Amino acid sequence: MNTRLVIIDGLRTPFAKMGTDLARLAADELGRIAVSALLARTGLDPALIDEVIFGCVGQPAEAANVARVIALRSGIPQHVPAFTVHRNCASGCEAVTQAYEKMASGRGEIFIVGGTESMTQVPLFYPQSAAVKFGKLARAKSIGQRLSTLLSFRPADFKPRIGLQLGLTDPVCGLNMGETAEVLARELGIPREKQDAFALESHTRAVAARDKLAEEIAPVYPPLVKSVVTRDNGPRDNQNLDALAKLKPVFDRKHGTVTAGNSSQITDGAVALLVMTEEKATQLGFSPLGFLSGFAYVGCDPQRMGLGPVFAIAEAERRTGLTLEHADLIEINEAFAAQVLACLRCLKSDEFARTYLRRERPLGKVSKDILNVNGGAIALGHPVGATGARLILTSLKELARRKAKRALVSLCVGGGQGAAIWLERP
Amino acid sequence: MTTPPPASAAASPPGATDPTLPGQSPATTIRRHVTDDQICVLTFDRADSTANVFDRAALMDLNEQIDFVQCHPELRGLVLVSAKKSIFIAGADLTQLARAKSPEELREMIELGQVVFSRIAALNIPTVAAIHGACVGGGYEVCLACDYRLASPEKATKIGLPETQLGILPAWGGCTRLPRLIGFPKALDIILGGKTLAAKPALKAGLIDEIVPREYLTDRACRVILERGLNLRRRPHQLLKSLLNWTPVVRLIAGKVAGPLNAKTRGHYPAIPKALEVISRGLGSSLEASLALEQDAILELGRTDVCRNLIRIFFLQERAKKLTGLPSSENVASLPRIEPVRRMAVIGAGVMGAGIAQWTSSRDISVILRDINDEAIAKGMAGIARLYEQGVKRHALTKLEARAGLDRISPSALEVPLGHTELVIEAAVEKMDLKQQLFARLDRLIGPETILASNTSALSISELAASTRHPERVVGIHFFNPVHRMQLVEVVVGRQTHPGVVRRAVKFVQQIGKLPVVVKDSPGFLVNRILMPYLVEAGYLFEQGARVEDIDESMLEFGMPMGPLRLIDEVGLDVANHVAADLADKFRERMQSPQVLSAMLKEGLLGRKSGKGFYVHGGKGDYAPVNPEIDRYHDGTRLAKLVREDLRNRMVLLMINESARCLEEGLVAEPADVDFGMIMGTGFAPFRGGPLRFADQLGIGHVVDEMMRLAGEGELRYTACNLLQTMAAAGTKFYQS
Repeated sequence: MNTRLVIIDGLRTPFAKMGTDLARLAADELGRIAVSALLARTGLDPALIDEVIFGCVGQPAEAANVARVIALRSGIPQHVPAFTVHRNCASGCEAVTQAYEKMASGRGEIFIVGGTESMTQVPLFYPQSAAVKFGKLARAKSIGQRLSTLLSFRPADFKPRIGLQLGLTDPVCGLNMGETAEVLARELGIPREKQDAFALESHTRAVAARDKLAEEIAPVYPPLVKSVVTRDNGPRDNQNLDALAKLKPVFDRKHGTVTAGNSSQITDGAVALLVMTEEKATQLGFSPLGFLSGFAYVGCDPQRMGLGPVFAIAEAERRTGLTLEHADLIEINEAFAAQVLACLRCLKSDEFARTYLRRERPLGKVSKDILNVNGGAIALGHPVGATGARLILTSLKELARRKAKRALVSLCVGGGQGAAIWLERP
Repeated sequence: MTTPPPASAAASPPGATDPTLPGQSPATTIRRHVTDDQICVLTFDRADSTANVFDRAALMDLNEQIDFVQCHPELRGLVLVSAKKSIFIAGADLTQLARAKSPEELREMIELGQVVFSRIAALNIPTVAAIHGACVGGGYEVCLACDYRLASPEKATKIGLPETQLGILPAWGGCTRLPRLIGFPKALDIILGGKTLAAKPALKAGLIDEIVPREYLTDRACRVILERGLNLRRRPHQLLKSLLNWTPVVRLIAGKVAGPLNAKTRGHYPAIPKALEVISRGLGSSLEASLALEQDAILELGRTDVCRNLIRIFFLQERAKKLTGLPSSENVASLPRIEPVRRMAVIGAGVMGAGIAQWTSSRDISVILRDINDEAIAKGMAGIARLYEQGVKRHALTKLEARAGLDRISPSALEVPLGHTELVIEAAVEKMDLKQQLFARLDRLIGPETILASNTSALSISELAASTRHPERVVGIHFFNPVHRMQLVEVVVGRQTHPGVVRRAVKFVQQIGKLPVVVKDSPGFLVNRILMPYLVEAGYLFEQGARVEDIDESMLEFGMPMGPLRLIDEVGLDVANHVAADLADKFRERMQSPQVLSAMLKEGLLGRKSGKGFYVHGGKGDYAPVNPEIDRYHDGTRLAKLVREDLRNRMVLLMINESARCLEEGLVAEPADVDFGMIMGTGFAPFRGGPLRFADQLGIGHVVDEMMRLAGEGELRYTACNLLQTMAAAGTKFYQS
């Protein structure tokens, strides 16, 4: 990459479990809070921004193109355009790499990017049968027509379709995300105990990192309540293996191993990052947090979408020449403990490398010491549209704390994709 | 109905030498255009002004246009529109009314308006008013004379009859035609309340007949004329309205309304009962008789001091809106334009800071709200959200506007760069050392053009400025509590404040729709300084045996919105005591806090915030009875025998004296500044015109005699200041006219 995209700073809302602290705030409101705080913190003149790009998976129906709504509501002048990106769980990364592509093609120098998700407020839907009848009712002219349409409604028409469930189900292979994790656990033989141990580690690390994480959090003042939300509420101080072991499998009740405890939490939250060209950063006197030094998105089998990171890391290596040994920190998004463990297994597997990656040597071994060091989505939660941007922010801040050089961020993506991003400190 | 006289008859007042008479260079006020469909469109477009008003020339002009219409029988209709951006017709020219030298001159002006409007009403073609912008007083009365009224839905459109707020009543047919149009009770609501309504509520109340987008107003007016012709005049028969306008019912309602109205106005606002009388009697009379009643009533009211004082306040408000903050000698036109404030910061999220952040964010300004911790900000933000919610409930804002306002506030408990803010207002705790540290720090965060302001109500601006590297950029911008209700803002000029900074501060105050008064830096500035001896005296009178009820009631009778002891309760005894102590440092016995406050404070009587003070708070609604145990705080009976008039006299004299001192010390430029500040800042009885105006009315000699008599009784704080004494000796007044 000849021109580098620099990441100046970032802030996020606390991440809060669905239906808790941030339940009343819609995705656009969460995004606005993050952007507005970031603008205040950096002191950037918002008129200088060339584009606002936000990732969001379940956009609020009343805030279509949520990026534009966030931009206007954050006081960014009207002339600054905005668009929303959607690459499922990697939407937050997509926003950052889109900024890079824009910059590289000479279409802008300063961007506000990020991701936002209110999983609480993903709506319920009426079945299509009801929608048809409502449409007919609206068009009915006479009282008779209206009455007969009203009478045609059946109880089944009002059975809600749960938006969140629909969104988390692969429309092509028909499995929901948890079921894809069960596939990996089954095929690769990843036992329940290992998954639970991994989940416990995520909580332990996130709890220990509270103060560090606080550095990237902008407090949220929910309207009309004299209180403030400053902390992620996912990490559990008293998490233990016994408690995890007691949970019932969710996706395959009889033979399954994937539970609510060893899966990512369903969470509300938003992240905003200020990114720009190196030249602009120098000109405006900003000292960058880090650079985007390479990235790749790759498709894979939707039924085994959890292995996406492996494919993406391989592709990123092909493009950048950077191997796992170069990474001082690695994030593999914790959609499911089984899925992360499956990735680790495949990364170091000769057979996997030969069969699926068409290469002689495996990608390499990942040391737990540098993997998800501040916990992951199992503890912190996974607001799908926002997570990618959070991983970039969290690992850049951690690189700085460790005075280390490079971080590799990767995510599996529903629908069968993987994302890998290489970051670098100046 | 009788045929109205032709223009010439109404237009020739005996021996008139008015320079605006037609033929002697009348400024154009109305443009005429006849459409292909033979509809005459009159466009009000006063030359060299952004407003249309009805002065003599405009009325004469309109009269001539009606001559034209009458002479052209082929015309099928008449439409009235305005070419101004935000004003249809802003009513009668108050300057002309106020300057009327004799009752005859005033009567002639009233008659002229009535005659011209009645000629419109009597035309035998349909007439339509197409309203966009402010359409008030005489501006709406001309619409009432039309057959049909359209209005644009825009924010600028405001329709109503605010005359009673100026101590007069609608006398160009408003009191006569409005009740006939919308019914007696609704007309009372508008006229006695002096209300102006936005288009939507105006439609609901029946003040207008249709809401039409501004761009289509004239087209629509022409179309209704062509489609409905004189049928526009035929209103559907409304049984309820006829019943409500039936004389016995009118009498019944009038009787019911009169009692509470008098209790509320305490007889201080004669225009309101007068309007009630004119409307109710007018409904039982012919149109002509009712118009005659209007005329007699306005002449009677126009002679009163109340009316003169109220009109004067209106002018003072207009003056404050145009104030430049520069010496009048300075040529403002040659100075660079001041850009409006777009981004600012408020430091401190307490009641005042939150209030300022809420108000400014609602006025399109992005606000960074800082405090030292998340909890303080959370409290402030909750208060701000509540203010916005109340605004939505009052229909002052839409839900989206309220959300946009809230969105403009960026709260932060951490230090953030302030380089791109044009203004920083500090509203932190009132401690000099703390504020100085804060200012020294802020000084390093702001940009090269940022104004550093303090909302302090007591501390010296010059001293604060001394802690910065840019004392010339430090100024006081002092809001009153509650910020969203109080219109006055004191702009306090420190020793080193640059005139350009004063100018920008004044402009900012105007930008956010508040009214500035420029004051020199001195303890208590203007308003609190004058208020303090009054509050101290109230406490002292109580201490010496006067009853709480008598003290407060005497000032309510005087016309204050709240008695002084109740005000102390509201402010908090601790705060009042603290401010008094601060001011006593400089002003000694004039502001010495009475012992009783300390005694009450010791026992935890803080006023409203602790539930008890001179009154007991926390009951249902706003009702707070006198504290039954309060009498044990009397410290003597020396003044127990004073009647209410004596009590009032003492408290008012001290306010007058302090007002005169402020003027004497040159804190403000002129007497009007003092009166304006006291009326807008404390609610000082508006109809009395302010303390200095009231002193003029009492007679300065009388004021000084009274004060010296009290001083002679050993109460030295009553010694009249030099200015008053000199004026008494020379027989001069604060105001010449």
